[in-house]
Amino acid sequence: MGKFLIRRLLQIIPVLFIISFVVFCLVFVAGDPVALMLPEDASPEDIEQLRESLGLNKPFHVQYFTYMLGLVQFDFGESFRYKESALPIVLERLPATLELATASMIVAIVIAIPLGIWSATKKNSPLDFLATGGAVLWKAMPNFWLGIMLIILFSVTLGWFPVSGRGSLSHLVLPALTLGTGIAAEMTRLIRSSMLEILNQDYIRTARSKGIREFFVINKHAFRNALIPVVTITALQTSTVVGGTLITETVFSWPGLGQLLIQAVNTRDMAIVQASVFIIAFMVILMNLLADIVYKILDPRIKYLKGEDICRSIHRLEIKIQQLQVQSRERLISLSVGCDFC
Amino acid sequence: MFAVILVALFAKSLAPHDPKMINPAMMLKPPVWVDGGSSLHILGTDNLGRDILSRIIYGSQISLAVGISSVAFAGVIGVFVGLVAGYYGGFIDNILMRLVDSFLAIPTILFALVFLTIFGPSVPTLIVVLGITNWVQYARLVRGEVLSIKEREFVKAARSIGVRDCKIILRHLLPNVISPFIVISTLSVATTIILEASLSFLGLGIQPPTISWGGILSDGRDYVATSWWLATFPGMAITITVLAIIFLGDWLRDVLDPRDNH
Amino acid sequence: MKRKAFWGIFLFVISALLLVGCSGETTTSEPAATQEQGSDNATDKDAENGADKTLTVAIGSDMVSFDIHDHNNTSTEAIHVNMFNYLFKKDAKGEIYPELVEDYQIIDDLTVEMKIKEGVTFHNGDPLTSEDVKFTLERVATDDKLKEYPNYKQIKEVQIIDDYTFKVITHAPEPSLFHRLSRLGSGILPKKYIEENGWDHFLANPVGTGPYQFKEWVRDDHITLVPYDNYYDGKVEEWDEVVFRVIPENSTRVSELLTGGVDIAVNIPPADWERVNANEGTSIVQEISNRVIMLILRSTEGLPTADPRVRQALDYAIDDGALVNNVLLGGAVPTTTMVGPGNFGHNPELYDTYNYDVEKAKALLAEAGYEDGFEITLQSPRGRYLQDAEVAEMIAGMLAAVNVKVNVEFLEWSNFVEMRNANENKEAYLLGLGNSMFDGAYSVDWYRAERYEGHTDYKNDKIEELLAASAVNMNPEEREKQIQEISAIAAEDVPFVNLYQEKINIGISDSIDFIPTPDEMIYAPSIKRK
Repeated sequence: MGKFLIRRLLQIIPVLFIISFVVFCLVFVAGDPVALMLPEDASPEDIEQLRESLGLNKPFHVQYFTYMLGLVQFDFGESFRYKESALPIVLERLPATLELATASMIVAIVIAIPLGIWSATKKNSPLDFLATGGAVLWKAMPNFWLGIMLIILFSVTLGWFPVSGRGSLSHLVLPALTLGTGIAAEMTRLIRSSMLEILNQDYIRTARSKGIREFFVINKHAFRNALIPVVTITALQTSTVVGGTLITETVFSWPGLGQLLIQAVNTRDMAIVQASVFIIAFMVILMNLLADIVYKILDPRIKYLKGEDICRSIHRLEIKIQQLQVQSRERLISLSVGCDFC
Repeated sequence: MFAVILVALFAKSLAPHDPKMINPAMMLKPPVWVDGGSSLHILGTDNLGRDILSRIIYGSQISLAVGISSVAFAGVIGVFVGLVAGYYGGFIDNILMRLVDSFLAIPTILFALVFLTIFGPSVPTLIVVLGITNWVQYARLVRGEVLSIKEREFVKAARSIGVRDCKIILRHLLPNVISPFIVISTLSVATTIILEASLSFLGLGIQPPTISWGGILSDGRDYVATSWWLATFPGMAITITVLAIIFLGDWLRDVLDPRDNH
Repeated sequence: MKRKAFWGIFLFVISALLLVGCSGETTTSEPAATQEQGSDNATDKDAENGADKTLTVAIGSDMVSFDIHDHNNTSTEAIHVNMFNYLFKKDAKGEIYPELVEDYQIIDDLTVEMKIKEGVTFHNGDPLTSEDVKFTLERVATDDKLKEYPNYKQIKEVQIIDDYTFKVITHAPEPSLFHRLSRLGSGILPKKYIEENGWDHFLANPVGTGPYQFKEWVRDDHITLVPYDNYYDGKVEEWDEVVFRVIPENSTRVSELLTGGVDIAVNIPPADWERVNANEGTSIVQEISNRVIMLILRSTEGLPTADPRVRQALDYAIDDGALVNNVLLGGAVPTTTMVGPGNFGHNPELYDTYNYDVEKAKALLAEAGYEDGFEITLQSPRGRYLQDAEVAEMIAGMLAAVNVKVNVEFLEWSNFVEMRNANENKEAYLLGLGNSMFDGAYSVDWYRAERYEGHTDYKNDKIEELLAASAVNMNPEEREKQIQEISAIAAEDVPFVNLYQEKINIGISDSIDFIPTPDEMIYAPSIKRK
């Protein structure tokens, strides 16, 4: 386990390195924000002078070196907008986004796991169809649209929840529902298909044939095993959840990382952009790592001993996920329409 | 799905009006079946008096074009990287997979946001950015497939008799990975259409006067409570198309992959 | 299979109905119940106190900074006015009167002696003295990195006479001095506090002399102010707390207003005006802003727009009235001058009127040799001004009628600013020009050839002459005439096509009294509970 952890942690380093390079390139291409920082009638000399003092007139490799030097000290430079070091500003926003992301994830899990299992056990029933068909429809609705609809329905018409802002638990309900149900739509389909696969496996069939009660079969045997892909699926959604906060936070004026980032991009505050992209990427990587660890704990069949083994088991895992995705979609489709096109 | 494509192809003859024609006299007319609706504009008009049906019909062109070409763009990169990484393995695989991990760690919409602000939101940049962000999923898929196919007898045999690498890749591996690729990529077209709508919400989608569904939907959000038809119909167009694409994906899978037919 | 197909259709119809249903419903059902429900959400602690003495204002974008000299953002100033005092102030009609200043005397063309009120204190208890005035004005007048520097660089120095008396000395005769000292950037800062604690400490814990003092700023969420007990003019009792909430999304801001979550919501889109007015307990209040929307044309040699006849033709081809009535639903006043009412040098003859005559436009184009028309690019921001994108598209439609093909190019705001800074503007771009000085000289300076060489490339010798003369003219009557004349010449020669002057659209709860002012400030002491 220790070795496995070290290996996985070491793998993060090149990934972070690549991310920092990509982000730096983008920022470099973006040109400099000097013109936006100075008064409207600033003279060319003023602009040149400021550019020089910020080191923006140096060649690519020199700027990159300076940037990397700062990076290893967790220094992303100063925010042009706030005139403060960028990282603390980003970290200050993190709790709000984590709160929203976690709540959304809980909403997604609470909806998706029972719904996915239920529709798998009642395969091809109208209820199964409603769940899976609903999932597709939900997925087809852009996030911002759902958010605006929820506000109009639950806040303006019914008056159940506050419209926007962060504060009490009731403020969290609508944004979490907006983001969470969107994620749930995707997860339901994935969980359903992995559950179906497990239900088809021999030992479940054996258990059934031995006359063990259906409830018990599902709960004891199938669910335990379905948990492994569920963990993976959940971790893979992290990136989607974090991406979704960009939109959801804007709709609900949620003071998190997403809004900070959109503002920063709009004002060309590149230090903030770099810092937040980096932090977000780090979070996603961390979640995936966590999923790997949980996976290992849950599934002792996979041994992480030698490098080769790691690769192979990761390959196996990846292939599995791909297959699951293909299968889930395919099953879903066969359920939803019949064979009009065949 | 074919109906949607046909609509896109024959937009010019199908659309009852010029989608960009501004008509101050006919602003915000509701659909024909609602009181005050006009039979000239079956689905009503928008805030500048433009015919919504025509806009949706024309919008299908750009929405599908962006969806399909960005997926094709991503597919080319992804299939190539996946083939190379999967076939050669080892160091190259390691490097390429770290690259994949890096892109997976940055949420698509976030990357698109930064990229589009810097390069300006135009149709080509949109296609490029969606291509750049989406190739990783194909790379992973193809690599996974290649890894399993690589171990099969016919590939091993080809290698042992000294067939050149690029020939093996093109002759034996590519045809085998293409069908799962097509299935997944069909579904990506759907995701792309939704993503474009989200980008429009952030003001970075396809810019008017070019008409896209995401753009119409996003512009309609100020009228949700007062003139619901502005956003509801493009929303429905997106929903129908996404459903249609998913059906198409299923059908393609049945056709392309007879082994797994049930 | 057929059953499944049936379910498929069934579900789709249901969901479609749901979509239509919940969006359709809201137009009809905005009952009083909504209002009651909503006020519960307002703020929990107010409900406990009984009387609601919290004023909540929804603003569209977050405050930029507490560095009052380093932003040029009106909505940021709108918050700052509650915390900082200026030496002079404008009333609702634009008349300037002394605020912190007790008495003043113009000594010569370059010097004004001022005496400030005694007994004014900063929120930390320090008294306001001439030292603070000197510190504030000289900072912005000498540091050319500050965004407000161009508006204060005319000041040479502040000479201290005693604790309360000082002289403001300008480099050259400065007729707009009082206009400058009554606006953004002239809030007086506490010298001692800043020097003892450092600038960063001030930015995090700002201190001014105004009626309200800083409580907290949660970025992109809210800014909270509370009354200052020792305000020189007496503690403001009306509001125990003023909260500015940042809500960028239009529809969310409107929803907050409708549910009573906020008392004031700025920038309500025209589509929702009727809805806000129809809703029980909320209404829209309007006031003319000091922002004129115009097409900045490029008169560069070689472009069709270099020909004054072409520029006039564009002016005649655009139906400002249709823009105002159909796109802005009356939320603007058409104009042919960029100096609006309430500004020094306003020319009433050129206001609330516009040129529209398609035949004449065609004739002018024919005369200029463009019977068959030509193609131009119109650059425009999106979502920056009221209905800006719609206006740009509408103009493109209008110009098509005179054979001018317009390619509209929408730019995201920061790209738009970059385009302007890099002089990458094409034949025309849409701009809303504000004037926080309320001095027409500031607006018509846009016609000055030297300033916009390579940008508009416009030059009119008569205007140049008048600009030079008015810039140093200390005789107000003469100066007013000069500015009016510049406007009149420009209305003929059309360096820019002036379209209309925007109105401020604010949604308010009926439980408060608030009359917006053209300077777009949200000055809490002037907002009353009913």
